[in-house]
Amino acid sequence: MKRNLEKIKEIISNPHEIKKTNMPNLLKNFFDKYIKISHIEKYIGDYPTFIEPVYLEENIKIGDDVLLGPNVYIGANSEIGDYVEISNTIIFEDVIIGDNFNLENCIIANNTQLSFSNYRIKDCILRGLANSERELEKFEF
Amino acid sequence: MTDKEEIDIYRIKELESTNLAPDDIRDLVIQTKKQVERDNDIIAEKIHQDLLKNNVKSFDIVGAIGAGKTAILEHIVEKLSSRYKVLVVCGDITTRVDANRIEKHNAETIQINTGRECALNAYHIHQIIKNKNLQNYNIIFIENVGNLICPSEFILGTDKRITIVSITEGEWVIEKHPMLFKMSNIAVINKIDLLERLGTDLDKMINDAREINPNIEVVTTSAKTGENIDKLMNLMGL
Repeated sequence: MKRNLEKIKEIISNPHEIKKTNMPNLLKNFFDKYIKISHIEKYIGDYPTFIEPVYLEENIKIGDDVLLGPNVYIGANSEIGDYVEISNTIIFEDVIIGDNFNLENCIIANNTQLSFSNYRIKDCILRGLANSERELEKFEF
Repeated sequence: MTDKEEIDIYRIKELESTNLAPDDIRDLVIQTKKQVERDNDIIAEKIHQDLLKNNVKSFDIVGAIGAGKTAILEHIVEKLSSRYKVLVVCGDITTRVDANRIEKHNAETIQINTGRECALNAYHIHQIIKNKNLQNYNIIFIENVGNLICPSEFILGTDKRITIVSITEGEWVIEKHPMLFKMSNIAVINKIDLLERLGTDLDKMINDAREINPNIEVVTTSAKTGENIDKLMNLMGL
């Protein structure tokens, strides 16, 4: 799994060179092959809703009324805000997601900070430090 | 899926009780609550159509914790899994205990941990089936979160809803939960192997179910001995 994640990280590091049509399969193959059952034993938060499979690495903070899954991977030290819904999405390590986000079929690069609220997006690579939607580095696929 | 359907589905959210709403937003809370109920029904109908289109039989299994939902499903899945491709969705506040039990009988399982929610809703089920190729399945069972109250708020779009109670819950359990029995196709009264010892008034339970819902089928079972499981499966059309 780790090697595949590193490969995906490398692919999204050059988002302008990505072949968009490959991205849905890249996500699907990752989840089909590596995230078959949930790994949700350790997180900091108050009983979110999980639809299998969801894989959480170490030291992840999850807000209130959050729905994760199916097909979610979240890297270490990431923070998920309140009222967030995420499905079919890879979030790399050290990411911050604001309140009331809905992410579907997305890949969020490591160290991304989405420090704003109320945002719905699908089929995208997201990265950067953003205090509003305008500041977001977004690459649709 | 159309954009409108997407928006309809997105709107599903649990709401605070209208009794707690301050006067100035009470109307808004009531309108939103009504909208949520409509939204759940829209999604449930979409689920139902998707399952029908793919010839998948589907059942929503409801009952209190310890009534025997999982034990009965273990019997049914054991009998079906060699002939049919079975998917079982298990709803629980937390843990994977039920899914692990059912998986031993060769069915694919998906656990939903609802956290603070006391029932599965159509949105949860839609999130699962939109990520599955329904052509790969013949039968889907949904084992709802264990209680007899909250699931009556949310239909899930299945062919049939089956409510399971046990005689250990006392002979008043059906009378005290009319909503769920009104919305169910089959009432199962389980643990009849304990009838002699407990002296529960089984006839009252059967009559209560029929009085609340004259169209309901009633079957008494023992998941422990397997008694009448075949009869239940016949009523389910399996």
